Amino acid sequence: MSSKSSLLKVILLGDGGVGKSSLMNRYVTNKFDAHLFHTIGVEFLNKDLEVDGRTVTLQIWDTAGQERFRSLRTPFYRGSDCCLLTFSVDDSQSFHNLVNWKKEFIYYADVKEPESFPFVVLGNKLDVSERQVSSEEAQEWCMESGGYPYFETSAKDATNVAVAFEEAVRRVLSLEDRHEHLIPTDTVNLHRKPRSATQCC
Amino acid sequence: MAATTPPKVVFEHEGVFIHSSPDESEDQDLISGFLRIVEKEGETLVEYKPLEDADPSNMLCACKDSSSVVEWTQSSEENPHRPVDHQLSYETEWDMINAVSFRRKVHANGDGGSNHVNEQNKRAFSFNVCDLRSVTVKCEGWSYLTFRLKDGTALPAIHFHQGGSKAFLDSLRKSVQINESPDDESVLIVSTYSKAFSQSFENLLDDTNYGFVQQKFKKDPYTTTLGGFSKVTNYLFDAFRAPELECQQRPAEEVADVLGELIPGLEINQQEEPGFEVITRLDLGPRPEMQRTGPVTMEEWAKYQDLEGRMTNLPHLKDAIFKGGLCHAVRKEAWKFLLGYFPWSSTHEERKLLQKRKTDEYFRMKLQWKSVSEEQERRNSRLRDYRSLIEKDVNRTDRNNKFYEGLDNPGLILLHDILMTYCMYDFDLGYVQGMSDLLSPILFVMENEVDAFWCFVSFMDEMHENFEEQMQGMKTQLIQLSTLLRLLDLAFWNYLEAQDSGYLYFCFRWLLIRFKRELHFQDVLRLWEVMWTRLPCQNFHLLVCCAILDSEKQKIMDRKYGFNEILKHINELSMKLDIEEILSKSESICMQIKSCKDLPHSVSEILGLNTVSEPSAALETSEYGILESPQTSPRSSHRQDHVVSNGHSHLKETTQNGCKVAFIS
Repeated sequence: MSSKSSLLKVILLGDGGVGKSSLMNRYVTNKFDAHLFHTIGVEFLNKDLEVDGRTVTLQIWDTAGQERFRSLRTPFYRGSDCCLLTFSVDDSQSFHNLVNWKKEFIYYADVKEPESFPFVVLGNKLDVSERQVSSEEAQEWCMESGGYPYFETSAKDATNVAVAFEEAVRRVLSLEDRHEHLIPTDTVNLHRKPRSATQCC
Repeated sequence: MAATTPPKVVFEHEGVFIHSSPDESEDQDLISGFLRIVEKEGETLVEYKPLEDADPSNMLCACKDSSSVVEWTQSSEENPHRPVDHQLSYETEWDMINAVSFRRKVHANGDGGSNHVNEQNKRAFSFNVCDLRSVTVKCEGWSYLTFRLKDGTALPAIHFHQGGSKAFLDSLRKSVQINESPDDESVLIVSTYSKAFSQSFENLLDDTNYGFVQQKFKKDPYTTTLGGFSKVTNYLFDAFRAPELECQQRPAEEVADVLGELIPGLEINQQEEPGFEVITRLDLGPRPEMQRTGPVTMEEWAKYQDLEGRMTNLPHLKDAIFKGGLCHAVRKEAWKFLLGYFPWSSTHEERKLLQKRKTDEYFRMKLQWKSVSEEQERRNSRLRDYRSLIEKDVNRTDRNNKFYEGLDNPGLILLHDILMTYCMYDFDLGYVQGMSDLLSPILFVMENEVDAFWCFVSFMDEMHENFEEQMQGMKTQLIQLSTLLRLLDLAFWNYLEAQDSGYLYFCFRWLLIRFKRELHFQDVLRLWEVMWTRLPCQNFHLLVCCAILDSEKQKIMDRKYGFNEILKHINELSMKLDIEEILSKSESICMQIKSCKDLPHSVSEILGLNTVSEPSAALETSEYGILESPQTSPRSSHRQDHVVSNGHSHLKETTQNGCKVAFIS
């Protein structure tokens, strides 16, 4: 089991400009550039980390947020272990769009059990003073949508960024453990078909 | 600023900079100011004064929601001699309609900045032209001048980031005679006569560009051999592939599946059938080495223009631009022709009328979105979305470039306004991410809202399909690129395909915005002007892709990169590419393909090589360096083929596993 867990694929989704790339860069390189280019196409970064005594490589995928690029973004959803639904607390539209992002992800990632899939919700730009989305509002949505963990982050001043990614990893690992308990045979990766497929060769 | 007895300003140019530290460090301060030639009591003075504002890009100040045309060299009251520009006069008209002010923000810092002002004023200088011994002209993408006085004083270099050095020197010539130094052509000696100063722009091609020109054209025998037996190649690579890499690639074939559906013409072979196959392999023959030349200078450009302003001897001119690009000072004018905003055959007069008409048209469209009320916008979700995305992206486009950096930089407002107006020009397309990347260099060069808009429109005519709902342009290009790559380098193509990367997704960003994010800003300018010559073949940018991939393939294959690693590797090439090396290699590849006699139809189609009378044929003889006399076309009448293609082995393609990409025809 532990060897199989060595690589976790996490994908950041959310409207353009909510700070997906900035969150990724803050977490992986601990840097922040307020004038970072908007993402064109798809990028990813790897980061090794240890969570509860287990070493994993987190592969964080970052995509272009505009609707137009959907067809070139969605193929990369497959094989994700976790999805970070991201909005910006100073942009209510980006919050309301979370439901669409979730739908898009479930559809294209071909998630077999959407109810148990580990989503984590990030409300970014906590450093901005004019909020449009309250904590309560966001928490309520997370609760109703399936009890997702919610983090208010700031890629700019590094608030809660590492915590959020680590929580994502914990979710994935605990889900795996649960599966292992439930199904003792070697069909662990029901919801993660791609991994087992490649690993056997 | 004006003295009690107003001096006569015979020349004025804003957006002239002093670099605070003489070294080339990136983080030095630029002190923005204006340079003047002033006639005062029978004497001619050259004056440099920093703007009293900290903002280095304070060449202009449009109010935040200005509808005015922004002209960087804003006419000032003390300057009655500045030729009146059409667009400035238009600006006034439109200003009346829109009641939007347009002013220069000279005292923006108010009382708070007095220390700074003092600091800045230390940089001011003024001297009598009689005391001037020499002017050194250097070029680094922009020109900069150093004045040396007769008493030996060297004044700090004046950087013309916004162009204008030539106009300045022309103006200076009216007061003194200047001539090129016999020892150093970049030094102009004052008081003798010459016109040859612009030769110094030839130095523009800096050494770094030549550092990498050493080409590695020799085909690696290992991959060449394997190329004939692609299945063996795949087999070998599969066998050698490290197991730990394996686990990094797990979603790959699924991604490929979906991308395969997405790009109908691209059939990605998922079968892993063992066995040999005979693959069509065309012996392309050796790749000739192509040399690049220096950029076209202002003086050279002027030689191509007849008295009424028509551009003449176009094949020769375009060839020179293809071979060496343009000096920065020429770009502002030349790009308008290259992009098709100005017809090559138009006269000065015709262009003035055109600009007048286009200015009118631009402001009509600008007024459309400007005059949408909040109420209206609330009911127009598309406009709202466009605006919101433009605002976000403008703040994330080239912000490290002086032209767009800092808060409330005028460059940002222009970028925003032009993109919004483009939405009105083409509401169906609206704004799509990537368009700000295409506009930014154009605006940087044009330094003028209306001209930048229309040049952008021309560029978008070409790029439109990339951004459309179905992204047909992207799909077509990916298929075409795959076709070319397969011809050029079957082994590599097979490798990519074995890694589920045969659809070349990793080139997406390259193609969507024409390498804008891959190259340094100045290099983007060079690449684009070269591409806009439409030489030496159609879809030259695809050969640019091939050239870059050619340089990376060894690394990719040696390190046995899989799907994810290839994507990551290609993404990380950004800002590490050498433009001159890439351009000469791309041209070489083009020559190599052209000299092949049995090209597959699909390839000739992509590169437009079918036509008998090829306008680009001139290129093959373009080994001359500086163009001496463009009027009398020094091109030799006879041409010699560089490469004699020998032994084309054109085997018939087997249907079994053979063609994995459906060639489009």
